[in-house]
Amino acid sequence: MSSFIERPRYLCPLGGALMAVTAIPRAIPIIHAAVGCAGNIIWGQNGGGGLQVGGYCGGLSMPSSNVQEREVVFGGGERLREEIRNTLEVMDGDLFFVLTGCVTEVIGDDIKAVVKEFQDEGVPITFAETGGFKGNSYYGYDLVLQSLFRNYIRRDAQKTAGKVNLFGIPPFMDVFWRGNLDELRLLLQKLGLTVNTFFTAADSLEGIKNAAEAELNIVVSDVYGVEAAEVFKELYGTPYIALSLPVGPAATDLFLRQVGDALSLDRQSIEQVVEQENRLYYHYLDPLAECYNDLDLQRYSVVVGDANYAVAITKFLADDLGWLPELAVCTDPLEESQQQRLASRLAGLESGIQPHVVFETDTSEIINHLNQRWPHNKSQKYYNAFSPAFVVGSSLDRELAISLGAPHLSVSFPVANRAVLDRGYSGYRGGLCLIEDLLSAAIAGR
Amino acid sequence: MSYLDQKEPPRREDRLKACIAYGGSICGMADRQKRCLQDDGERCFTQGSICLLLPGIAILNSIPDSVTLLHGAIGCGSCAHSQNANVRSGSGLRRGKVKDALWLSTALNETDVIGGGEAKLTEAIREADRRYRPSAIFVVSSCVPGIIGDDIEGVVERVQPQVNARIVPIHCEGFKTKVWATAYDAIYHGIGRVLLGEPEEYQPVLVDELGELKEKYRLSRTVNLMNVSSMGRGDEQELARLLRSLGLDVNIFPVFAHPEEMYKATQAAVSVSVCPTHDDYFLKYLQEKFGVPYIIKHMPIGIANTGNWIREVADFFGFQAQAEKLIATEEEEVQAALEEFRPVFAGKKVFVSAGEFRALATTQLLAELGFKIVGIRSFHHDEFAEEEYPKLAAYGEDFPFSIANAQPFEEANLLQRTKPDLFLGHWCSNATATKLGIATHVIYNTGLNYIGYQGAYELARRLYRQLKNPSFSKKLSRYARLPYTKQWYEADPFKYIKAVGSEPNV
Ligand code: SF4
Repeated sequence: MSSFIERPRYLCPLGGALMAVTAIPRAIPIIHAAVGCAGNIIWGQNGGGGLQVGGYCGGLSMPSSNVQEREVVFGGGERLREEIRNTLEVMDGDLFFVLTGCVTEVIGDDIKAVVKEFQDEGVPITFAETGGFKGNSYYGYDLVLQSLFRNYIRRDAQKTAGKVNLFGIPPFMDVFWRGNLDELRLLLQKLGLTVNTFFTAADSLEGIKNAAEAELNIVVSDVYGVEAAEVFKELYGTPYIALSLPVGPAATDLFLRQVGDALSLDRQSIEQVVEQENRLYYHYLDPLAECYNDLDLQRYSVVVGDANYAVAITKFLADDLGWLPELAVCTDPLEESQQQRLASRLAGLESGIQPHVVFETDTSEIINHLNQRWPHNKSQKYYNAFSPAFVVGSSLDRELAISLGAPHLSVSFPVANRAVLDRGYSGYRGGLCLIEDLLSAAIAGR
Repeated sequence: MSYLDQKEPPRREDRLKACIAYGGSICGMADRQKRCLQDDGERCFTQGSICLLLPGIAILNSIPDSVTLLHGAIGCGSCAHSQNANVRSGSGLRRGKVKDALWLSTALNETDVIGGGEAKLTEAIREADRRYRPSAIFVVSSCVPGIIGDDIEGVVERVQPQVNARIVPIHCEGFKTKVWATAYDAIYHGIGRVLLGEPEEYQPVLVDELGELKEKYRLSRTVNLMNVSSMGRGDEQELARLLRSLGLDVNIFPVFAHPEEMYKATQAAVSVSVCPTHDDYFLKYLQEKFGVPYIIKHMPIGIANTGNWIREVADFFGFQAQAEKLIATEEEEVQAALEEFRPVFAGKKVFVSAGEFRALATTQLLAELGFKIVGIRSFHHDEFAEEEYPKLAAYGEDFPFSIANAQPFEEANLLQRTKPDLFLGHWCSNATATKLGIATHVIYNTGLNYIGYQGAYELARRLYRQLKNPSFSKKLSRYARLPYTKQWYEADPFKYIKAVGSEPNV
């Protein structure tokens, strides 16, 4: 482990947790932390979130106890009690969610006890301990799910055939979260399933409360939400499958088949949906055939992203689009087992492409990994250059793209230079969207 | 003894009796016997806000050839993702190359919290020096090291002899102060202690006496124009233009100033503040230590304010006559240009929210443009703005005035009562008004012009645009809902201020 992380592409657990809670329908977060944490997180969203800040109760409207030196010395329990009491008067919500930050965790406030007092009065309130030193914002998302599973959902729910929960796409940290969740839900509905995705306009607190009715949890991530799925399994005996975020036909075919297998759905009806969706996808792709070739749009590529996108985009480029992703860089700090898992997802790709997978948190080091991989031009007359190239990454990877003379598309957090509303890259439609965005960037000067 | 002899600057609550909670009216503020709100109240319901880390690293990340090393948990400093846009465009405009900010985090984990973060910090400084070869490393400590008791200065002292970069410790522990303007003191404190030394140069064998004389003359007419990031390049250029037309030279400090050139601030003839809330701490130091006098009085937002700002500088150099000529010409030009917009502005109701001085100065500009002011919210209050209140009260009509470190719940309540046609709010503070269907414009954005005559015209042009078609807000408000209860809109907007000195509901 290095002694620092350069330009972290994630926030603290509190940040990820706030993003998740502000995405829960009619939920009100209550931050128990120092005064600046909210602002820091919102500024982070403002700069990296594809121009999305907020949710129903987001931005600077989130209640926060703003603890000071006094609380550091004497404890913040009383201040939290006061803040919750007044929040109930001012804020209009159906679920109140207390989240802690560094300061209140280091001083050791007993949040659980304070929250319990209000629960006993019948207030719909829960909490998660999301101190900044516990991990990053992706983990904060996981902690919110864990808290919902432990403290909020109905324990006596009956398992119901055809009901599933889908998670693994962290709101706002994945700036395409809404589009991604919607698309995957629509696909699963085509298999006849009822899907709870927790955070979208189609979800409700009632649906979340009944999450234990699901017969399967589908985690569309190799990392995010996996711990929460384990907790769920422990509490309710519900099995889960964890697979990479499906982007484009190859990965989505696999996704549908795996879900089908896990639920023992009729194989033939799965194949029917797969066939239909592929037909549609290639129907849309069809008219691209002329220009794609005339403009020579195949590219070498470097993919830089979080644990979801580094794998998902690389696989799509190699197995669907027919590009040459040489280097896949995952910028999350991960444990070795998680790294191995991600690397294995990019081994043995159908296209035979073998991208080099590296785990690197520091933006300015990425170029060195490519240089090691691709020999320099030693003033040769004939040189097989890394060109034409494309960089898919975050907005921090623009300098890398410039140094390679390559166009660039921001997909993974931070996405400072794009506006994202309901766009998504998951599923079949998402693959088409991604092609549009990649090729538009490649031909911007046309 | 100077404050700068201490490791950390004092909090503004202590040094200036600054406060962040007040609810009343503008005439109430103007009439107060007690000139400062000595014993400031507090809210017993609060929403999130910012801490001094945000304005702090906004400045630090602009410094070329430097690295900002955040010592804390991984999230402290996430704001840099937003501020990076200013660093990119700012370095493009000032230095000809778009460059991303470079910040690092020691990302303290649970083990560090228990065992202390000093070893990690030591290693991080060495590695940052080796890897990036910067001219300066700003070591910024946030809440966690403040609580677990890391000795930042001790670490810096031990490791400095081993690295090339000059290491500047900066204290930004958010829980220690309610007044984020303490950030400016913290930054100036670090710069003042470490970066103002003159580089050693070889003594030339042949002395160029004429050259030295010329340089002396130039310095005798050089003004330090203080900018802690409240102005973008356009605003800097406007003030530089005005000062140059008086025959003065300009040294902009400290944003985007190279660490090796910072000493130049100690050689100027005078320093002039653009926002008095920002600079007193450092300006007093420059005077005490280097004999550079200072002017800290007006903010050049608004036509009259800009004139007064110019006059103060001209007075110092004895250029009164030239200044009056300049002001008269500029005013005539800008007033003529503004005619086009006046009919649209006349009588339109406006509500303003921002840092104290900016809010008050911008309000004066809006009044000059013909708007009717229906409310102001300032982020904090201290002594520097005292003179501004009577100016606003003199417009005749009273209106709600409050001091709040954001707190949009009070704002939502006040906006429902005052029903303005237009709202001007700070960065990340405009969604409330927008969702209520009010035409909205940002009062601070380093990509836009606000300052001087150009700024007045450009702001007017933008407001005209907003008022011409407020459909974005109007349409959104049909479906958007703010997260407040019905009874809150009926309650006293200042209900949660447990105030000493608060006035009855307006
Ligand atoms: S932990 Fe402290 S320094 Fe960090 S963002 Fe929160 S208030 Fe600011």
